[in-house]
Amino acid sequence: MLLALIKKELLALIRDVHGLAALFLMPAVFIVIMSLALKDVYDPPVKTLPYAIDNRDNGTLSATLVDEWKKNHGDPHSRDDAWSDRVQSGALSYVLVIEQGFSDALTASELEDKPLLRLITDPGLEGGVYSANKAELVMIASEMRAQALLSASKMAMQMSRGKRAASPADVGVQTSAQDIVTAERLAAGSRPTAVQQNVPAWLVFGMFFVVASLSNLFLQERQCGALARLASLGVPVSVMIWAKALPYLVINGLQAALMLAVGVWLMPVLGGDALSLAGIHWGALLLVLLAVSMAAIGLALALASLVRTQAQAATLGPVVNILMAAIGGVMVPKFVMPDVMQRIAEFSPMNWGLEGMLAVLLRGSDIGGVLLPSAKLMGFAALMAVVAALLFRRRVN
Amino acid sequence: MLEIRNLSFHYPGAGRRALDGVSLLAAPGQILGLLGPNGAGKTTLISHLSGALPVQHGDISINGKTLAEIRRATPTRIAVAPQEYAFYPMLTVRENLECFASAGGLAGAHKQQRIAECLAFAQLERYAKTRAERLSGGLKRRLNLAIALLPEPEFILLDEPTVGVDPQSRAFLLEAVRTLARNGAAVIYTSHYMEEIEAIADRVVIIDDGRVLREGTLDELLGGGKAQLHFAVDGITGAPLNALLAGYGSSTKTGDGWLVALGAGKTPLALLAALEQAGGVIRFAEFGRSNLEQVFMALTKHSLRD
Repeated sequence: MLLALIKKELLALIRDVHGLAALFLMPAVFIVIMSLALKDVYDPPVKTLPYAIDNRDNGTLSATLVDEWKKNHGDPHSRDDAWSDRVQSGALSYVLVIEQGFSDALTASELEDKPLLRLITDPGLEGGVYSANKAELVMIASEMRAQALLSASKMAMQMSRGKRAASPADVGVQTSAQDIVTAERLAAGSRPTAVQQNVPAWLVFGMFFVVASLSNLFLQERQCGALARLASLGVPVSVMIWAKALPYLVINGLQAALMLAVGVWLMPVLGGDALSLAGIHWGALLLVLLAVSMAAIGLALALASLVRTQAQAATLGPVVNILMAAIGGVMVPKFVMPDVMQRIAEFSPMNWGLEGMLAVLLRGSDIGGVLLPSAKLMGFAALMAVVAALLFRRRVN
Repeated sequence: MLEIRNLSFHYPGAGRRALDGVSLLAAPGQILGLLGPNGAGKTTLISHLSGALPVQHGDISINGKTLAEIRRATPTRIAVAPQEYAFYPMLTVRENLECFASAGGLAGAHKQQRIAECLAFAQLERYAKTRAERLSGGLKRRLNLAIALLPEPEFILLDEPTVGVDPQSRAFLLEAVRTLARNGAAVIYTSHYMEEIEAIADRVVIIDDGRVLREGTLDELLGGGKAQLHFAVDGITGAPLNALLAGYGSSTKTGDGWLVALGAGKTPLALLAALEQAGGVIRFAEFGRSNLEQVFMALTKHSLRD
């Protein structure tokens, strides 16, 4: 009896192709994606960050500093006068500004407490990377100062004919360049706390989950003949599609309000950081949310029109969502991914949504700053709507 | 008058036509019984009438206008009550009626009036606030019918509307269908229950393999059947019985007796008298003509279908 029932179970499993795909393919794909995405997680990703250098110093030491920095961070992007806009938008992760007088100051016996090396970063730059870059800058500058002072003392020794020259430490000279190094986030809308980073990521992820709900209901309507009945009553396909899309637009709106409210009010009560909406551009936030919602609903309609069985509806939507999240920087922040994965991430609609949300919540972007991700999302929504419309009529009948 | 002329349809990739030159008429005030084994083409025919399938060959017209024109201008003139429970299980009876009434273009007071009328017609008033998923099979069938009637259609297609219901609900539904025809609607009624078709259909169409095998009134269909006597007899068996029966027509052994198709000029009384004279004791005897099921089985053969 047991064997017969086990055989039944196995046959049912084997004949559920999509269920099997979810069981075997999804973990395999996940392993590949997550391993690639996390490949560099223990190797600080500072090398891959786009940056520029604004060298205002004419001395030789500033050129040495630039060379040292390039060794660890690769070649800088070309500097232009609009670099602050590029940093603000996240196109550059940071700009290293070497102020005039840096070379002279580095060799002076007394260090002035004046910022001569400024690290100006993207408002959304991850905290660890921000601190690591600043510490590295202090270290390089300190080493250069120590070497410069040592060279000066050796020269003094030679000039005093073999008498041992006092090292900088011996004479109590300050070798640390900490006082001349500063780091700042460029006009940050908010401090990039975990909440400030996580709420946008999981909000975008959650909004895309309407795929599962919409597909299930659509399939139910199709299988019971209710959609065919609506069609026989003369209801146009466009009306059926809009009737599905608009309620989910409201659902997405409520999701967004709930998630933001959790970040703003619940997180501090639970002892976490609060999500700050102070100073954000509300128009830009609404535009990004609308675009994310349109993309999510478009994808949901296309997938709902594509699936034929409950098993497909139950697996396809969540699998697509999770893969998009894994690729798109929701599960693994994009900045820790290797170059190739970062480029792939740029094809994930979830990444466009996430970039838009981060631009609003971390960089204080206005509508102009989120136009590109919003346009990409809306374009994706339009494409999916066309696919849905083409498949919808066939499925209804 | 709904007229189908020489309708043919071929599904892409299928080996044969699903419909092959089907012609029939559905007149106002009449019930047209549509009979056919599984895979005969009934659903394809209904799908054409509901607008789900385009006409490939032949034509369908209503009072001289093509079906496509009618569906574009007034799609609600034709209503379909599909075999499935084509409504939303998570909505109440009234919510379903409101949804489909609005989808059919009804609004305002007229919509409310039609909902009330359809609730009353299907005797669903008590269940107006009950979720459809909690209704019994019979009530679901009644809701399915009520939804179809909302826009007051002139042509109503009922696809096996009594599947899975108890005898009381079946009797109620059949009477409801008769009422629809009495009120002037043209009803096309498909069923596998022959006695239902015999009970309510004014005309019957039997189709198989996409073709119309027989079409006519019930009398016309059954008129061709020979008079037959079904009986059981004790006290006479074997060769004497066979020899006796051979003189009255062709005989067939049934489970509990014999079925004799009486030959020309032979009467049942004469056969029964002959059996008694030969020493037989009649246990039971039934006399009549072929019923619809026998005609149907004879026309569509007895082989199992898909």
